[in-house]
Amino acid sequence: MGNHASVVHSLRELNYRVRVSNDQAVLNEADVLVLPGVGAFPSGMKALHSLSLVSYLQEQARLQRPIIGFCLGMQLLADASYEHQYTTGLGLIPGEVVPLINPQWHIGWNSIECVLQDPLFQASDGQVFYFNHSFAYRGPSEYQIGLSRHHKAFPSVVRRGSVVGLQFHPEKSQRPGKELLKSLISGLCHA
Amino acid sequence: MLDDQGLCSGCLIHEEKDNLDWAPRWEKLTQLVAPYRSTDGRNYDCIVPVTGAQDSYYIIYMVKERLGLNPLLVTYNKYFNTPLGIRNLSNLRIRFNCDILCQNVNPVSVKNITRSTLLQFGSMYWPILAGQTVFPVQTAVRYKVPLIIWGAHQGLEQVGMFSHEHEVEMTRRYRKDHDLMGHEADDLLSIFDTLKEEDVWQYRYPDDRDLNAVGVKGIYLGNYVRWDPKAQHEQMMREYGYKTSVFNRTFDCYDFVDCFNYMDLHDQLKLYKHGYSKVTDHVSREIRFGRISREKGLRLIRKHEQAPLKYHGQFCAWLGIAPKSLQFMLDQHRNPKFWIQTEVGKWEFNGWSARHELREISDHQAPGLSGSFEATDTLEYDRSAEYITIGKGWP
Amino acid sequence: MLKKRLIGTVIVKNGWAVQSFGYRRYLPLGKPECLVQNLDRWGADEIFVLSIDRSSGRLGPDFKLLGRLGQLGLGTPLIYGGGIRSVEDGLQVIRLGADRLCVDALLHDDVEIVRGLSRQLGAQAVIASLPLSYRDQRIEWLDYRTKVSTQVSAKDLDAVTLGIVSELLVIDWQHEGQPGGFDRRLSAHASLPAEIPLIAFGGLSEPGQLIELLSQPRMAAVAVGNFLSYREHAIQKIKTQLIGMPMRLPSYESMYSLTTDV
Repeated sequence: MGNHASVVHSLRELNYRVRVSNDQAVLNEADVLVLPGVGAFPSGMKALHSLSLVSYLQEQARLQRPIIGFCLGMQLLADASYEHQYTTGLGLIPGEVVPLINPQWHIGWNSIECVLQDPLFQASDGQVFYFNHSFAYRGPSEYQIGLSRHHKAFPSVVRRGSVVGLQFHPEKSQRPGKELLKSLISGLCHA
Repeated sequence: MLDDQGLCSGCLIHEEKDNLDWAPRWEKLTQLVAPYRSTDGRNYDCIVPVTGAQDSYYIIYMVKERLGLNPLLVTYNKYFNTPLGIRNLSNLRIRFNCDILCQNVNPVSVKNITRSTLLQFGSMYWPILAGQTVFPVQTAVRYKVPLIIWGAHQGLEQVGMFSHEHEVEMTRRYRKDHDLMGHEADDLLSIFDTLKEEDVWQYRYPDDRDLNAVGVKGIYLGNYVRWDPKAQHEQMMREYGYKTSVFNRTFDCYDFVDCFNYMDLHDQLKLYKHGYSKVTDHVSREIRFGRISREKGLRLIRKHEQAPLKYHGQFCAWLGIAPKSLQFMLDQHRNPKFWIQTEVGKWEFNGWSARHELREISDHQAPGLSGSFEATDTLEYDRSAEYITIGKGWP
Repeated sequence: MLKKRLIGTVIVKNGWAVQSFGYRRYLPLGKPECLVQNLDRWGADEIFVLSIDRSSGRLGPDFKLLGRLGQLGLGTPLIYGGGIRSVEDGLQVIRLGADRLCVDALLHDDVEIVRGLSRQLGAQAVIASLPLSYRDQRIEWLDYRTKVSTQVSAKDLDAVTLGIVSELLVIDWQHEGQPGGFDRRLSAHASLPAEIPLIAFGGLSEPGQLIELLSQPRMAAVAVGNFLSYREHAIQKIKTQLIGMPMRLPSYESMYSLTTDV
């Protein structure tokens, strides 16, 4: 679930050609696969299963196709989530998705701190992006490129090879979001 | 729009004209403009958009004579210029002794846009509205003269969108939303494949960074002065030689004498699309000022609303289309809420002024008020009814 | 650090964006999508579209408006409120592009539906709108449809919000549209559930007042409506006056500069 218009619009504004599809033949044509998402983890995975996209995405990750997940899309990249009930994810980046506690959610504009050197994100270090979530990724530190701090720090940018997850919504983050998307997509495509 | 007591916002806001204390408001205005006065006399104090009609004389009178500012006048060439309007504009800058800058957008682009917007939106006025509202702002940025002084705010005067006390200023949002019917220059490119960037770039609003860097601020005199177009025009006729003309489609002789189309073809389109025309706006204004009764107003509307056009031939010749094609295009924009086609080429009008319950007010004779607006000349002035597409040959 | 937000509010009545004064007087402003697009360009931190006649008219959410807003491709998060009657309504609002939703009438009518929305979308997506007034050191909660205000206790408000919504929109409805009118006793009142962050709305225009509210630790955001339509760059101008507060800085978009030195 979720609305793709903002994602599509912001990518088109950056002069990328964008198609919205769940058809593998169409997806095969793309240079980058983007997995946006709003809603709960179990229903997100259920949708991917029913569209036969789980094994497809796993296969594409093995082939080192660039895959980017936003918000729920990022969480789906992990092994599993505790949202509602324990549900396995795509398993593209080791780790789990756990509830935020005290406070139970993180809403609004927050900065990211790059803690691992990564040229794709260096220009966005310290920039402010829009977050809207109540679960967060927890996993090995080698996949955590950037952190954000609410009361505690949590990973807001994760990466394993050509698979990247962003806990925030770059498409709803005005200019900093567009700049990050541009750097990220051109970096992944020319890697 | 009505409030929970059933009062119309336009009337509510109009009441402020008699309830506000205008002396401190004038004081506010003088304080507001004070920081914009050029201290070394090497630049203008402000920019004032003008035409050969509407409130231009009174605005310049206020700015130059009453506020003592040194304005740069800017005007946008609307192509449908009447000889009388050209004369009025020329007389304006001579009598008030002002510098003026004129924007002439090339005829090919203007005609391209007019053709496209007429067909699609039923609007022949987009380039004029866009040009008149953007050229002053572009000039403010380019000349680094941040203050722009306008007359009355149309949204406040007619519909009551704002209170005078909100002291509303010029915004890009209002221009797009109302002046341009929701379509800015770049929006036209995605709507029409007939238009290219080279046709519309002159109409682009300066971007936010430019506006902020220069500190552009557009203010409306109507928030600080009790605005009364009729009284103001009459003063300008007496004291500065503003000339006026009779119109078929309204009783007001003062407002739109600079254009062959505004009170003619453009006004007919308004009636097609919205079910009322400019005469209704004029009547509402005069009723609110207490100068005519509701009944008299309705008679005036009945008299003028369906009056025949005089100058559509000139428009067809200018745009290069046949009168029949024009009528076909216009008919596409008749709002079915107000117009019923009874047979080919025949339409029945069903707007509010034609409503049954109003019929008992007789529609013969519309005496009274028309005499109190004085026409001192004609749109043609000293020649035939042809567009003066650029003001050559005028002093 | 998490920033505090300046929310641009667009009140919609009968399909038109309006200025609203004290929940009873309205002045028309224009097309909601024009106001929303403009707030997006100005860099508001969040945009709140509130259709005020959908619940009283039993019309459901304004899906057509949401569809048009979706077409704008906003780069700013969007909150929608108005006419949400069921979980399905709420899901459809999100599908059409809103990031979060705001409920008011539903809190009076059926809090279980609000709980259902929260379960489906996560509480972070749900905001409770509370039009309040202050009398004799107590707060009263208005049901705007019947225009009846009822005194409420902490327990009453806990029951409809705790664990269900992520933020409370505290509206000073009586002073809505009145410059500097917001009654700060409302947002500081002990009856409001202490665990839930607040958004203040209604009569917010003066920098000193905004700074005072934003200095309260639990105040996550301030929402401004009418006052944004009076001048150019109203969002940026307010932000400039709030420099020093934990907020994003004002920014000015540049697409086609006329000046060579920019």
